[in-house]
Order: sequence, then structure tokens, then C-alpha cells
Amino acid sequence: MVKTRMVGLCMLILAMIAAGCGSTSPTEKTKTLTLWYWNRSLDDGLIKSVEQKFPGIRINAQKIGGDFKSKLKTTLAAGSAGPDIVAFNDWVSELFVSSDRFYDLYDLGAKEIEPDFLDWKWNFGVTPEGTMIALPIDTGPTALFYRADLFREAGLPSDPEDVHKQLGTWESYLDAGKKLQDHFAGKVKMLDNVNNVYTQANAQSDRIYFSKEDEFIGDTPASSMKNAWNLAVKAAQLKLSGNANAFTSEWSAAMNNSSIASFVGAVWMKEVLEEAAPDTSGKWRVARAPGGDGNNGGSFLAIMKTSKYPQEAFKVIRYLQNPDNQIQSYKNLNLFPSAAKALDDPIMKEKEPFFGNQATGEIFSESARNVKPAYFGGKYSNVNGIVGRELTSVALQGKNPDKAWKDAISRIKKELLR
Amino acid sequence: MGNPMLNAEPARAPVPPRLKGSLASRLWRHRKEYLAISPFYILFAIFGLFPIAFSMYLSFQKWDGIGRMSYNGVNNYRFMLTDPEFWRAVGNTLLIWIYSTVPMLFLALAVAFLLNSSFVRFRTFYRIGYFMPNVTSLVAVAIVFGTIFSNNYGLLNYVLNLMGLNSIEWLNKTWGIQLAVSVMVIWRWAGYNAIIYLAGLQSIPSVLYEAAKIDGASTVQSFFRITIPNLRPIILFTLITSTIGGMQIFTEPQVLAGNDGGVSGGGLTIVLYLYREAFIHNYFGYGAAVGWGMFVLIAIFSIVNGLFVQGGPTRGQGVK
Repeated sequence: MVKTRMVGLCMLILAMIAAGCGSTSPTEKTKTLTLWYWNRSLDDGLIKSVEQKFPGIRINAQKIGGDFKSKLKTTLAAGSAGPDIVAFNDWVSELFVSSDRFYDLYDLGAKEIEPDFLDWKWNFGVTPEGTMIALPIDTGPTALFYRADLFREAGLPSDPEDVHKQLGTWESYLDAGKKLQDHFAGKVKMLDNVNNVYTQANAQSDRIYFSKEDEFIGDTPASSMKNAWNLAVKAAQLKLSGNANAFTSEWSAAMNNSSIASFVGAVWMKEVLEEAAPDTSGKWRVARAPGGDGNNGGSFLAIMKTSKYPQEAFKVIRYLQNPDNQIQSYKNLNLFPSAAKALDDPIMKEKEPFFGNQATGEIFSESARNVKPAYFGGKYSNVNGIVGRELTSVALQGKNPDKAWKDAISRIKKELLR
Repeated sequence: MGNPMLNAEPARAPVPPRLKGSLASRLWRHRKEYLAISPFYILFAIFGLFPIAFSMYLSFQKWDGIGRMSYNGVNNYRFMLTDPEFWRAVGNTLLIWIYSTVPMLFLALAVAFLLNSSFVRFRTFYRIGYFMPNVTSLVAVAIVFGTIFSNNYGLLNYVLNLMGLNSIEWLNKTWGIQLAVSVMVIWRWAGYNAIIYLAGLQSIPSVLYEAAKIDGASTVQSFFRITIPNLRPIILFTLITSTIGGMQIFTEPQVLAGNDGGVSGGGLTIVLYLYREAFIHNYFGYGAAVGWGMFVLIAIFSIVNGLFVQGGPTRGQGVK
């Protein structure tokens, strides 16, 4: 008798626990949307405000750590339900082959808001067939970060306008680098690494590796690849490189110890630099990049075809990326806006003490306005990796540049046949 | 003896006829036991057997991880065998394996021998100390070693400069990266293998040592004539596990030198190469093929190792 009662009591408790465990079941009115993003790709406060703005929608925001792209691909491979809204990084073009797994945002009304966004950034999310799989979040307009004090000491211009005028081409920038290094007798290097020169020179172009028909154009004169390669090789031969790769402790130490005088980088490097080199605060400035304005990085939002509420999801992402919210995100997280109107916001004119009270926003917004629309293609990172490796051999192991170029091209051709 | 009827089989389940059902009914009879051991087999079937079989299937396909798979015949294998980067990865892996495994096992043996000897105090403290590297986080350790071997501002270069020597760009040199990775592996596994050797040492009967001492053998002589031959099966075990582990080194070079294994790919091991090709370049079919290539390689080496250690009758008899 007692035993049955105990069993009954346990069952009751279990049932109550089970009932309590479930989340609030969606009623007719509330719809739950799952959002996948990585840390700092979206403003957490902004995400929370979605539920206030849209009372019938609940957001289940999941910060995915580790290898975001792999987790997304695993979900896509599984074919079963994934998140409703998912963030993409600049590898968006790798997912063009799977464009049928995402809603065409044009079908959900994206044409309406297209004029609000920078056209080159908008185009990154559109496949060559004209399907739009991703809405822009932030951009990475590039500029030249430089140490005004070191430039001045070496007899180079130190005011951003003058730097832009006199060091406006890559050639003049590299020559100035030689002058600076001669002055400091090798104690200070002009730039961080040679691969960055290659990357940034390509970032300024609209024709890099592939045409819109996915044909390899890197070895044709129309592409910027050879020119970028030559510039990087020249930088290596002039020994202008500090051989420090970004995001390493080496780089941080070199920046903080004033061993590197400048580098071309995207706007999101501001925060990296500020964290890496606090001792150099106030000495840095930003000028328009040699060779022109470019873009490096930037993320997107997409809606998966498995989503049950595409209309609501589109409403949410449209809200998240409206110009005002983009300005908020820029304020809070340094996510540089992709909305054209946001570039004119007064916040761009705010002075920043780390940059000697220069308003870097002005430089970056001007840069953002001038970026040329480029097509990356699905195999961009494969090809880029091959070239990067050959370039490193040239820079750090003295490999003959012409041989390295030939090796790179033949390896790329082999790669594209796979 | 007695009435044959009384010696008939005691009453229980009928003798299963020798038909198709016999296996099933035998299984059913012992279902409780099978059920008890089934969790392992079910998990192994799902997470062990199926992936192995699927990767064999996948190695003949072309797949980017999301889209449709397309049949690729033996192209993956052909590409692998003709790719200079694959062979460089094999070479790097073997070099790193030699640089790390050989010193590590000798070190482990020496440490175990010392830990076992009577003149060492605070043995437990040393045992814990030597084993601790094995329980640390691999990524965290790689980051720390990265700052030690750092090109311009590393700890090692700082020490060299103090001694008046020039800095060496460790991570920009092929052998430098391999050295750094090897040091990490040695640091991590010497203690682990030392504990295993210690267990082996303690199973050697002490009468052998006493007899040797009476006969006037020195410590070194008893080490090579008694310890090593008795430890042979354990040495073989650690050699095989080190081989299997050493061929699969991935985290150390990736964190230390990046996905390309650093300058000229000095740190590009086979698994790092596989990871790059499959997860970064989206060639999952090819990654599966590389995985099987690695399997063949490890198998060959394990067999070679086994033959080497068990060798001829004079092997392991030590210094004359």
C-alpha cells in the first residue's frame, strides 16, 4: 500500500516537473523566432528590443561560439530545422551554391529598403542569378592607420589630409616606408605584414579572382591580383614588413612597443588596435588608404527556408538593420553601418582620443561611400589561401617571386578542377 | 549407472532445434545479459561504426558539406597521392613524430626509473607534477607556448638575448615550428608515459635487482639488462599509442601556426591538412579520403614499430 502511494507520489512530482520544464507554449499570438549569431555580431540590447517592438514575436537568440560556419553547414547538411534567422560573415558567397536553402529576400519585400543601403554591400548578398539571400549588417571600409608622431619624426606628412595627398598611391606609400625605415635605422617597420598589403590592395578592386560567371580571371590584366601581388612583393623586397600577423600577441606587442608605424585596415581594426596598444593612445591617426577605398569584412543576416515565419523574420531583420538601429550598434559595438543615411549621422564626427581627437568616422564613411562592388565567388578563400601561402614564402623564406607566382597560378588552376 | 530415464535432462527450456531460429532463441534466452552490454555496442554502432563506414563512402564522393553529393570515383585518392602538399604534410608529421616521440619516451623511461628508485623523496609530489601537463587544456597551452616561441617578443628570445645571442625567428622557420610543436608534445605526454612505465617497473620483481646487485652490477647495467627487457611489452604499448597519437597531432600546430601550418607549412600535419581541406576549403569527400590515407599510414607505422621493438632475439639486450 505504502509502496504504491510512493510510486504514485513520485509520478505526480515527475509530471509536475515535466510540465514546468516546458517553455511558454506559443499561443495563437506569439511566434518564436530562433536567431543564430556570434558574439558582438549584433547588439544584444537591440535584439531584446525586438520583442517590445513586435509584441507577437519572441526571439530565441543563440550566441554560437567556436566555428560558426561549420555549425551552420552541419545544420544545413542535416536538412532538418535550423534557426529562422542566421548571421553570415564575409564568407557569404560560399553559400551561394546553397542559395535554395534560404529565402529570397526580394520575395519578402527587400526591394523596398534597397535604396537605404550602400549598393556594393547590398550586392554581396545577391547571387549572380539575382536571388538575395542575405541582408547587410555591418561593413569594413578600410583606411590607413598610422602613427602621426613616427611619421612626423621621419619627415613624412602627419596630417591625414597631407598623408592622403602625398601617400595616395601604393607606390608612394611603399617609398615613404623606405624613407621612414632609413630614418629609424630599422627599429621601426612601416607595415605589419606583406600579406595584408596583398589583401588590402585586392580589397580596393572590383575584379579579383572570378568573373560573375565564376571564371578565373586572376591571371588576366582586368584583375587586381597581379598588381596586388607585385605591391606585396615590393614591400617584402624593401623589407618594410614587421612580420606580425594580426590577432596574434606578436602583433599586439609590436604595436604597443611602437615597432610598427602603420597598416591598412578595416574600421573594425580600431577596436583591435585600441585593445592591443593602449600605451600608444593618442598617437594614431587615420587617413584614406593608399590605392583607394576598399572593404574588408562585414556580416549579413539571412532567413532559412525551414523557417515557419518568413514574413515575421523579415520584419525583424529589417528592424534590426534600419539606419537608426545601425547607428546604435555603431555606438555600442563599433559595427560600422551599411545604411547610407547612417554615414551622415553626427556620430561620425565624434572625436576619438585614441586617435588624437580625430573623428575617424569621417574617413571611414567617405571610404564606405566609394567602395566598388566586387564579386567574390564560392572559391574565394581557397584561391586566396594558395596565394597567401606563396606570398609568405616570398616574404619570409626568400622564395623567388616569379617562381612563386607561377606556382600559385598552376596550383590555383589545379584547385579549380577539383 | 542408474535408470537412464532419471538421468534425462532436467526440465528447463526445450533444446533449441538446429534451425534458423536457434540464434534468435539463444539471444532471447540471454536477453538480460545482452541488454546489459548493449549500450556500448549501440553507441559504438552510431558514433563509431557508422561514421567509419560513411567516411569510406564519402571518400568516393565530391561534397561541399551542404549541397548534393556527386560521385567522384577515385579522383579524391588520385589527387591526394599527387598533391605535393599532402606529401609535405606526411613528411612534417613524421618529422614531428620523431622529434617528439623518441625524446619523450626516453625521458619518460628515465623519469619512471628515477621515481621508482629508493633514494627519491616526495615521490607522490613528483608523480602529480609530471602528470599535470597531461590534464591541461591543449589550446591554452598552445597559446602559452606561442608566446614563448614568439618571433620578436617571445620568452625564449628574451633569454637568448640575455645570454648575448641573437633572437631566432622560431615560428618563421620550418624547423622552428616543428621544434615548438615537438616540445609541446613532449611536455604533455612525458609524464603520462612515465606513469605507465612506473606501473611496469613496479611489477618487475625486486629479487632480480637484488641478485644483480649481489653479482656486482651497476645501476646502468641493471637498467639495460633487467629493466628494459622486462618492460618490453609496455614499451611496445607506449610506442604504438604514441605513434597513433603522434600521427594525429592537430591542435598544437593549428593554434601555434594557423591553419596553414605556418611559413612554408612546416607545421602542416596530416590532420591539419585534412581539417583545412574539409572544413575551410569545403572538400568533405577529399577530407574523408585523406582520413583513410592516414589510416593506412598509421597502420604501416604501427606494424613497423611492433617489428622494431619485438625484433630479433638480441634486441633489447642492451649495452655490452
